Amino acid sequence: MLGWMMFLLVALAAKPASAASLEIVIENSLVAEGQIMIRLLQGEAEFKGESPAYAALQRRATMGEIRFVIDDLPDAEYGLQVMHDTNGNGELDTNFVGMPREPWAFSNNATGNMGPPKWQDIKFSLDSDSHQSIRLNH
Amino acid sequence: MRINRRTFLNASLASLTVAAMPKALAMGQESFKSEFQKALLNKPFLSGYQSAAQTSYQGKVSLKGKLPKALQGTLFRNGPAQHEIGDFRYQHWFDGDGMIHAYQLGDGALNHRSRMIETTKYKAEQAEGRAMYPGFGTIPENPGALTSPDLVNVGNISVLPHHGKLLALWEAGSPWEIDPDSLKTEGLYQFSDDTRGVPFSAHPRVEPDGTLWNFGYVSGANLIVFWHIDKNGKIVKMGKVKSDPISMPHDFVVTKNHIVMLMPPLNYSRSNRHGAFLDVHNWQPEQSTRVLVVDKSDFNQHRWLELPSQWVFHFGNAFEDKNGVIQFDGARASDPSVMTENFRAIMRGEVLKPEPSHLYQYRIDTKSWLVSEESVLPDTIDAEFPTIDPRVSTEQHKNLVFMSSDIKSPAVHQNLNQVSRFNYQSGELTSFRYPDSQIPEEHLFVPAANSRPESKGWVLGTAHDWQKAETVLNIFDYEAVDAGPIASATLPYGMPLGLHGKFVSG
Repeated sequence: MLGWMMFLLVALAAKPASAASLEIVIENSLVAEGQIMIRLLQGEAEFKGESPAYAALQRRATMGEIRFVIDDLPDAEYGLQVMHDTNGNGELDTNFVGMPREPWAFSNNATGNMGPPKWQDIKFSLDSDSHQSIRLNH
Repeated sequence: MRINRRTFLNASLASLTVAAMPKALAMGQESFKSEFQKALLNKPFLSGYQSAAQTSYQGKVSLKGKLPKALQGTLFRNGPAQHEIGDFRYQHWFDGDGMIHAYQLGDGALNHRSRMIETTKYKAEQAEGRAMYPGFGTIPENPGALTSPDLVNVGNISVLPHHGKLLALWEAGSPWEIDPDSLKTEGLYQFSDDTRGVPFSAHPRVEPDGTLWNFGYVSGANLIVFWHIDKNGKIVKMGKVKSDPISMPHDFVVTKNHIVMLMPPLNYSRSNRHGAFLDVHNWQPEQSTRVLVVDKSDFNQHRWLELPSQWVFHFGNAFEDKNGVIQFDGARASDPSVMTENFRAIMRGEVLKPEPSHLYQYRIDTKSWLVSEESVLPDTIDAEFPTIDPRVSTEQHKNLVFMSSDIKSPAVHQNLNQVSRFNYQSGELTSFRYPDSQIPEEHLFVPAANSRPESKGWVLGTAHDWQKAETVLNIFDYEAVDAGPIASATLPYGMPLGLHGKFVSG
């Protein structure tokens, strides 16, 4: 019994205050090739690449819907960058002038206006269990 | 495997060049259609700006005069043809969905057929029954996300027959491949995987040996892209030149050694990105028109020169003389108001007096890098769509064929109403004035087979007869344009006014 109590205490202590889960559903993977890669960003500096992403996830792509769940995230503002690295080279392939040649998306399905979206467009608050349904732009 | 930050999304998306639209600018959209319909009652010559009633046409033509037997081939033309979806009418002429026409001539007969270009945007909007995406000068209500220029590429400006393909061209995206027989849209055409989606403008220059040069512009990235493609459609090289500010160049010229492009001060705004693509450009006439000269053999070798503020839609030809002086001609207007104002007003039935363009000759000394310009014709002549015998491309040309009007006696419809030929050596200008019942479109010179360059051939052009609701293809003897058409083929329907075409012999 004591052991069980100790386990619970340790588990509770390890969990950050007000921890929440984030469910991310990629709705429209068209090919079962390569990887779905997600960068979870906490703050604009990470969005701009000035500091490392809070977390990075990847999973082999299947067709259709692909679900990710991240548990135990502290309450904060987050943003997501998503790419489908169809050829598995670890990069978002671009054409001669830098336009993406592989599927991409941001949280809130932000697409920007003559350029990438701003942090304001992609950020979302995680104050309870959150869900982001994301459609890849092909 | 880690996500590579250097090439992740933020940088890549800087290349997208078409604006998303705020709701505020979507006001008044319904009135465009009703205002246009009201205006059409009093100004029936506006019928050329109505939508095509059908998605494809094929009809028996009636012939007047005799078609030259030696004139064999197909005139392919392109232009905006679908201006409305339901009660929604586009707010700029250039937003209309493209339609491809084929006027096939042979054995003294002529057939016409046409078909809408089935672009991604056109198919999606037809399926939904509403305008869904931002356009060149139009903001629909609740526009969909703009995720790439090709999503809104309506392929409506020009055509390019090259290496056995027929391509329909827009300005800020990829070509659309068209089956030349059925006119069915095959899909976006990519010259290579690495150039997928790279803008390919509507006025490529093709040398007599089939070598193709083109440019594209990426406003969001301040980039001009250059294409060098061989006669088989293989990319020889690509290049990029930074332009800050960047404008909306529509045409350019090539000589044997150089590419020349004008960058008028219609500046893309980096701060104001609210509005349609056209709306995020500011005309700043206090600034010069910059001239970009690029070495054809090495796109990294380029220089900028300056001319007074001006706007040029279309050029004729360019060549370099024995002293290393680049010479070229173009239709010079003092501003782009025809595009920024007239072609918007016309969509609600308002006919504004157009700012004329005049035929100018330009010289660039490649030793001193001095650039100069000179008017070729009297100021009373409004001139546009200058063309040449395609066999003298990059060589010194003696003649230009173009559309014109006499500013002192404009047509009731305010469009250009003459087809003209000018001879630089003799200074002779000959013109045929169309009746006011017809609005002529671009005319092209088609040389006779085995003739000396610029000697024998025909001038071909279409006209929209607004009184009879018919479109007419006229054929003139190149040596006697002023005598009027030697043959006219009348379609049993009137086609919307279009933009550019190319003739394919054979």
